Amino acid sequence: MSARFLPRESLPALVAALRDGRRLLGPRVRDGAITFGELEHVEDLPIGVGDEQSPGRYRLRARADERAFGYAVGPTSLKETLFPPRETLFRAERRADGKVGFVAVVPKPEATAVLGARACELAAIGVQDRVFVQGAASEPRYRARRDALQLVVAVQCTSPAATCFCGDAGTGPRVYGDAADLIATEIDAGLVLEARTEEGAQLLDRLPTRAVADDERVEAERDLDAATTKTHTGRLAIEGLPERLFAALDHARWDEVAARCLACGNCTSVCPTCFCSHAEEAGATAGALEGRSERERVWESCFSSEHGAMHGANPRATTKDRYRQWLTHKLGSWVAQLGTSGCVGCGRCTTWCPAGIDLVEEARALGDGQVSAVALPDAPPPCETPRDEDLVPRAAEVLAITAETSDVVTLHVRDHGVAAEPGQFLQLSLPTIGEAPISVSGVSRAEGFVDVELTIRGVGATTRALTALEAGMELGVRGPYGRGWPLAALEGAPVVIVAGGVGLAPLRGAIRALVEAPDRFPDVRLFVGARTPEDLLYPREMITWLERSHVKLTVTVDHASPGWRGHVGVVTRLLRRSAIPEGARALVCGPEIMMRFTSDALVAAGVTHDRQWLTMERHMKCAVGFCGRCQMGPHLVCRDGPVFRRDELALLGREGF
Amino acid sequence: MHTSPPTSAAKSKRPRLGVVKLASCDGCQLQLLSCEDELLPLAGAVEIVTFAEATSRRDDGGPLDVVLVEGSVSTNEQLAHLRSVRARAKTLVTIGACATAGGIQALRNGRDVKEMLRVVYARPEYVDTLADATPVAAHVRVDHELRGCPIAKGQLLELLTALLLGRRPELRDESVCVECKRAGNVCVMVASDTPCLGPITHGGCGALCPSFARGCYGCFGPKEQANTASVASLLRARGESGAEIARRFRSFTGEAEAFAREAKRALEHDRERVEPTPEEEP
Repeated sequence: MSARFLPRESLPALVAALRDGRRLLGPRVRDGAITFGELEHVEDLPIGVGDEQSPGRYRLRARADERAFGYAVGPTSLKETLFPPRETLFRAERRADGKVGFVAVVPKPEATAVLGARACELAAIGVQDRVFVQGAASEPRYRARRDALQLVVAVQCTSPAATCFCGDAGTGPRVYGDAADLIATEIDAGLVLEARTEEGAQLLDRLPTRAVADDERVEAERDLDAATTKTHTGRLAIEGLPERLFAALDHARWDEVAARCLACGNCTSVCPTCFCSHAEEAGATAGALEGRSERERVWESCFSSEHGAMHGANPRATTKDRYRQWLTHKLGSWVAQLGTSGCVGCGRCTTWCPAGIDLVEEARALGDGQVSAVALPDAPPPCETPRDEDLVPRAAEVLAITAETSDVVTLHVRDHGVAAEPGQFLQLSLPTIGEAPISVSGVSRAEGFVDVELTIRGVGATTRALTALEAGMELGVRGPYGRGWPLAALEGAPVVIVAGGVGLAPLRGAIRALVEAPDRFPDVRLFVGARTPEDLLYPREMITWLERSHVKLTVTVDHASPGWRGHVGVVTRLLRRSAIPEGARALVCGPEIMMRFTSDALVAAGVTHDRQWLTMERHMKCAVGFCGRCQMGPHLVCRDGPVFRRDELALLGREGF
Repeated sequence: MHTSPPTSAAKSKRPRLGVVKLASCDGCQLQLLSCEDELLPLAGAVEIVTFAEATSRRDDGGPLDVVLVEGSVSTNEQLAHLRSVRARAKTLVTIGACATAGGIQALRNGRDVKEMLRVVYARPEYVDTLADATPVAAHVRVDHELRGCPIAKGQLLELLTALLLGRRPELRDESVCVECKRAGNVCVMVASDTPCLGPITHGGCGALCPSFARGCYGCFGPKEQANTASVASLLRARGESGAEIARRFRSFTGEAEAFAREAKRALEHDRERVEPTPEEEP
């Protein structure tokens, strides 16, 4: 489509056309910076205002001309609009009779137009789309806001800051494709406009434009060329960067940057692609005391202590761990998870770092070495038909409770969802209390419902409240989620199953399947460890397993009690003393450290990494890859696991991951 | 005080709550009273056993499910009071900068207390005080702490509600910056070179000061992994002296370890620069 020219004095016509029945977002000066805000008049634009940026420093400055788009991106982006810092996911209620109810909260955003989006901005939206609407699950709140973004006028950047590197990142300063409806380039006399979509062409038709004069075209191209040259800093080679960063995990530079890093989370907050969040119970005290709450999703930073924390352990305890996680994710494992770099080259993290840490400088210093031995998997392609995932639980009734040990119970729950495969998990919710991921320990299907067994150890507030449920009460259930045990891959081979403590629960569904099908699984060997004989799960059911001739079961305890005549010692010792059959495949579940040692013992017994499967229980919060909390190098545990083949877990046991 | 399901709380015996003060200004207790709309349902859900600011009821001396302790320990009498309260209470919560980290009265610590008494009071012999004002945790076990000078109303309500419901309170150990960005503020450090302790200060206030274009004073004390040394070097680069930097770290939570350490280092840094080397002495 041919370009048209909108003289500067006709800018009000553009603003009016965009505001026609829509909210208009665009740049405006607020609190000493150019931020995205609502525009009512053309005077709201930062006319004659530019900026100076360097690591840790941002200043507005007056321009010598009357340009309205003569600035580089400020601290805010369209992230705040599409993925707000705090939003309600659903309302929940738990009545006096123990019944629960959940109602989704999905916004109905007003039709919105955007004026002045930059190429980096549009690229960032593309990155967040991969997280929220192009994975296997699609988030309806983000999608509603995204759909409300009806008309986008991009203004190609001709005033990049010293911290910008969109050229290196391959996202700008020119806008390619149909990422915006209308593309503008600002020159002193006005805007050179080019439609990229049908909507853009219609908008263009309504504006008082004229043909572009040759010298205007030349001026626009000259300014764009200059910006292109400036943002190709040549300081950061994106190609191969993920592998180079993962090769540099022991680089001394991580300590140097950690000495300066404040772990304050400014970088992740201003980053237009960072998507991590946590969910919390909110709502007024009066309502909470009557059993009503709202679950809210809140921006979170991977520089905060709770981001990676699991019950009783934090794999990323230090600032060094967190900086390394952030940089290797943003520039590295993001590609493996989402098929794109997490960095669009906008430079916000560098400008808005109070300590002035320059991402490009750090990445360059860290990523100039060898290519990694860590194999980064390929990302799943964008999903054509994602399922709707509103994160709202459904009510399920507790039929009965079995006390397994002093702090472990099994809830027998009637659910009206899909039956879980062995190794998959459910998200269990209680209004006003919270939510926790729990592996399914047994399933029986019936017409119209599924009876699910959930074995829970009461260790935190939520799991304690779950274990205190009584028959007839209800709880909230989401799922099933995740990749379960690979039963098909075990067929015909001898199977070794190693369980530690409550880790037997996620394995029980698989064990039952193996026990019931001797023709498909002719040789099953179970090794079960527990702290004490009293902590042993499912002892009665174990006896029924032993009645089958193709099943061998060995039990060991860490501490024997009087009368115990079985093995004493950790389960790995048991493994070393046992003959593992040739060609065996192994399933392992237990505390992370137990799984590491078990895996090594299995290798010593001839079971290579490609024949072992482990289930990881990282801090899964949303269960569908939206919240970023369960990251482990290239994997989102909830989405890619929780069951992994051992050779997929190159970072298992690695400090800081 | 965990009740389940929650609505049975009203029927069962109500949890017994106490609010006591040590050396403090009562400002944190007043935050509880200024909870207004939220206060009534809360007051209905608990039995208030002692709360001098709110009720004239006599303390019956019986066990407490929760006690909120305001103030630092500044006298022997307060120390004895604190120990007796701890012995009665299932859950002890310190409220405010004084109780959690000494507060502004801890500015006297490390100085000659007798000299200070002489300067401040007409009849110092009437004053019975310990040399240092110390946080509650220096003397007894603390179950939860609410930071700030004063505490944030929202955090107090969250803690009490969570205790009543038996869930984990959302008192996140994250920086003020994270809250500041969620609030949509433009960073005062980066955009206007305003000194701000936000990056290393525990959140919970909702970034109150930066929301009014002021730097954070650090009244919530250090967050975990507080890189005070990096902040001190940024302040030095602005031309601040060690004494000025030490004042920033000591003002509200001087007994919080990370801030106390950095204040000490800042003063040492000054001495190293000011004290003449032996050769230069006349």
